[in-house]
Amino acid sequence: MNLSIFRPVLRPFKPQIVRPSSVFQRIAQCPQARIPAYTSPFSSTSRMQKRSKKGGGQDPRITSIRYHLSHPLTPRPLHFSRNRHLRHWTIHRAWMLFLRKRRWAEERDLERQYMSMRAACEHLRLLDQNGNRVSEQEAGGQGPDAGRLGMRGREVGRLYRSAMLKRGVWGSVPVEYARVQTDFPGREGWNHAWTRN
Amino acid sequence: MALRELPFRTAAALCKDTRPAVRVAEPLFRRNASSEAAREVESSSSLEVPPPSEELVKGYDPLARSRLRRRGNKELPPSRYQYRSPKYYRGPLHPHQPPPESDPSSRLFQPGPFSLPRLEQTYQSTIAADLLTLTYQHYPPGYRAPKTDQRLRQWTGDSPYYKNRPLRPPRGKGEVLRLLNEPRTFRNIPKITKVTLHSMVPEAQENSAHMHVAGMILQAITNVRAVSHKARHNVVGWGLRQGRYVSVTSTMEREDAQDFLAKLIDVVLPKIKEWKGVPGSSGDGHGNMSFGLTPDQLALFPEIEVNYDAYPPKMIPGCHITIETDATSNKDARLLLQAIGLPFYGKLND
Repeated sequence: MNLSIFRPVLRPFKPQIVRPSSVFQRIAQCPQARIPAYTSPFSSTSRMQKRSKKGGGQDPRITSIRYHLSHPLTPRPLHFSRNRHLRHWTIHRAWMLFLRKRRWAEERDLERQYMSMRAACEHLRLLDQNGNRVSEQEAGGQGPDAGRLGMRGREVGRLYRSAMLKRGVWGSVPVEYARVQTDFPGREGWNHAWTRN
Repeated sequence: MALRELPFRTAAALCKDTRPAVRVAEPLFRRNASSEAAREVESSSSLEVPPPSEELVKGYDPLARSRLRRRGNKELPPSRYQYRSPKYYRGPLHPHQPPPESDPSSRLFQPGPFSLPRLEQTYQSTIAADLLTLTYQHYPPGYRAPKTDQRLRQWTGDSPYYKNRPLRPPRGKGEVLRLLNEPRTFRNIPKITKVTLHSMVPEAQENSAHMHVAGMILQAITNVRAVSHKARHNVVGWGLRQGRYVSVTSTMEREDAQDFLAKLIDVVLPKIKEWKGVPGSSGDGHGNMSFGLTPDQLALFPEIEVNYDAYPPKMIPGCHITIETDATSNKDARLLLQAIGLPFYGKLND
């Protein structure tokens, strides 16, 4: 039975160290040093099987699961000397700084996108059907209601109104599109034959 | 390695005795054959820092300094760094304040992130921008949102005890104050905050082995220690008795959650036969979505599949997966999960 999966990867398996004192004790207990202190039972049947025949025996798999649940191999907590702690602290601050800069850069990216979308929408809102810019009074869409019409009626900001309808936006992401990035593109990079229905 | 180092070590040990007792200080400006080349590669080097001034060198007396330090009662803390942050937060006025969570000495400190999961990368590069584009709502410049009035109920009456009481929650059993839907900006794009696995094992009331197997399976899948829970009430229909341990959960955040979701979406769900998707009725209206997996489906996780024999097959539990997001409505949360790759079926719960 391979239970190595329960063992944390970072912690190497350490064989049990035999203390010299216990060895001496064992030798003192049995004067003939050749005879081992622990003798295996004569029967080759393992204890677990023997027990289960009597009735009420436990599955060895459950026993091992219980053992490993109650003996988690947790690494010991970190204890640092002063210099090591200071070194650790410095590196940690640098790492935090790096993360913060990365987050900041990502947010600036999104901000740039947001601002350009905002400018585009504002442009569309004030756009005539002939492509001319109209004044704020003539255009619609004031306030929270994007579909509101202005003095010039429907001919101003048609594209803006249809964009703000958000028709088909909710629940529109197809499973074929939603794929996690990979290091290399797939064998067929783009399925040109794909249609929604 | 040790064998390879052995000759060096012996050589160093032999040379230790031959070293002069007083070492002549080497000049700081050491000129080597490679120094010219190093200067070409690196314009400014730390080796070229000018030496300390003459007065500083003459005035430096380490013995006197250490004596002064001892006498002035300004001893540095002992070499073993022994600061422990307070166990309980005792309020902002208490003299012992815990360090910030990002400080390594804090009890809440979590090291990392140690990796950048693929799902996280995809979110940053693609999904966030797509969600922002899809859900962008334009408000003309100068528009100010009307102020929302108080949504909690006042205490109305003559009783003097109503004064300064906290406001009342919404009327009705099970009613909660709904989250406000703020307009979408580049700062509040929904993202995944937590993933919780919950597995209810009512058979554990008779035989605790079920609970242990379920906990071990959740731990193996999620990489997080499982937590067991008691039944809070007697429920005859489900065979629950109050105070007995009946379920295990494990809650993942950050990298664990991302890795788990990637594993679920790329490995496990495609292997399920005729899986329709997440039911469209799921969602609590506050951005959390949940769905369930049967025992057969849970056994498809690679961690369980590789040593399927380690678990008694009848004791493998099913589980519920709850994905918690930053979104404030079902629509937004569903859009995010769809962009990650979870399909929805049936009537949608909006």
